[in-house]
Amino acid sequence: MIRFFAVSKRFPTGQSALDNLDLEILRGEFCFITGASGAGKTTLLKLIFREDVPTSGQILVNGRNVAQIPRSKIPFLRRTIGVVFQDFRLIERKTIFENVAFLPRILGLDHGRQKRVAFEALRRVGLSHRMASFPSQLSGGEKQRVAIARALINEPEILIADEPTGNLDQDLSQEIVRLFLDIHLRGTTVLFATHDRALIESVGHRVITLAHGRLADDRPSRREAYRVPRPLDDATSGSADPQATTASRSPSDSTTANWTEEEPE
Amino acid sequence: MNFLQALAYFLREAAVGLARSLRVSLLAILTIAVSLFLSGALLLVTENLARTVRDWRAAARFVVYVARDASDSARNGLRSAIEHGSWTGAIEEVTPEKARERFTRAFPSLAELVAGRGEDALPYSFEAEMKSVPPGESARFDAWVAELRARPEVVMVDADQDWISQIETLLALVRGLGLALAAILLGASVFTIASVVRLTSFLYREEIAVMRLVGATEFYIRGPFYCEGILQGLLGGMLAVGALGAVHLLLAQKVASSLVAGALAARFLSPVELAGLVAFGGVAGWTGAVVSLSRESLAAPES
Repeated sequence: MIRFFAVSKRFPTGQSALDNLDLEILRGEFCFITGASGAGKTTLLKLIFREDVPTSGQILVNGRNVAQIPRSKIPFLRRTIGVVFQDFRLIERKTIFENVAFLPRILGLDHGRQKRVAFEALRRVGLSHRMASFPSQLSGGEKQRVAIARALINEPEILIADEPTGNLDQDLSQEIVRLFLDIHLRGTTVLFATHDRALIESVGHRVITLAHGRLADDRPSRREAYRVPRPLDDATSGSADPQATTASRSPSDSTTANWTEEEPE
Repeated sequence: MNFLQALAYFLREAAVGLARSLRVSLLAILTIAVSLFLSGALLLVTENLARTVRDWRAAARFVVYVARDASDSARNGLRSAIEHGSWTGAIEEVTPEKARERFTRAFPSLAELVAGRGEDALPYSFEAEMKSVPPGESARFDAWVAELRARPEVVMVDADQDWISQIETLLALVRGLGLALAAILLGASVFTIASVVRLTSFLYREEIAVMRLVGATEFYIRGPFYCEGILQGLLGGMLAVGALGAVHLLLAQKVASSLVAGALAARFLSPVELAGLVAFGGVAGWTGAVVSLSRESLAAPES
């Protein structure tokens, strides 16, 4: 699903963020990305959703080199990738519904369908009753759940989280991680950047450790059952159990893909 | 999202943007209103002046005054020379009696000036209607008038063309200056709107980042800002048109009998010209938004 081939990223200042990184993340995997501050975690994630481009090397997402896609196509790439940040990045002047339903709205869904889609996304994170609230009326954990709902609204194939628990206490962090695990169970590939070792150990999934922009360690998952391929997954990635496959996306989930590229540029 | 949905969304967001930075938005609207008001006022004055000059030109005449001691044959020769001029229309001979009668009728209080002086009071003259002189032939016309002036039986030639040409030159100068002034003012308006849109986009920078993150295209990110610029321009244009109308109405009431006011502001701008002013405001606003957003403020982080 995601492959890094000899990827390096050097900033204009000369500082190196990633150095000749080779990496493969399979469809349906849950991967922690960890490492000290400045190890290259955020840069790695940014390269996947084309917030940044590598200095050299190739990054394939679903077989497409994201560094080469034209600028006008970046929005369409991003609609297939949900992103969650430590600082939530919610729009303060908009309601929770408006924050979550932004993408369906610009894609032209009627208000009723926007509401249904937003309600479903918020229901998944347990906040369907707060649709009319504003971000300032929510706790940190709730804000992060709204951000997750927004990231899930278009049923992304990939969910990227950059230190999503960084601003939360331990209980809330566990709650958020459980949410990510639930999302992963539905077949979404999850990349979760954190430096919280205890959190990582409590889950037991694959851990990619970066140090100075290089791959320092790549520990496979201890919970193979969580590697859930999607129904159309290719044969090479599938070692999942049948039960897990049943738990993946329902056929109706794929309908959202139909309205992904309807919008004029 | 279809075009109408997009437009509704842009307008709603633009209105929110205007309200969010109300003071600077008002400043931009006022700046463009003042610019368009002055441009419109110049247009009004020059249009009216041009129309008045056209009227004057249509009614232009030239008068050739004949020396008192000129013989009949010299007078007839002069008449023939005037008649053969390419620019001459109908000719009227004005005898001293007729001239005195006209003077008395036009200036009754001054009638005694010419009452006791018989035929010496006013000279014999030929009054000729003038056909329009094309701009390229004015030199030929001037030469012809000079020839007439050089004739011994001619005392004076009074041609309206002379001062009409001077007024036309003045009008062209006013038009040029007006255009230059309008261009400077509109440039200032575009700059102001660009600054306001830039400020608004700065206020929205976090939202823009979020919009990009969730996959909004540039069309949807920039649309509200373009709409905001256009709205500011249109509002400024409407304000300018309203102010022009009010001032014109005031002038019409206060100085309706004034020759100058009549010449400068007798006719108000046509609906097309007024719509053009408002539309020009919209275009200036849009230009401001484009100028503003073409800089780095909204540019996606180039990778």
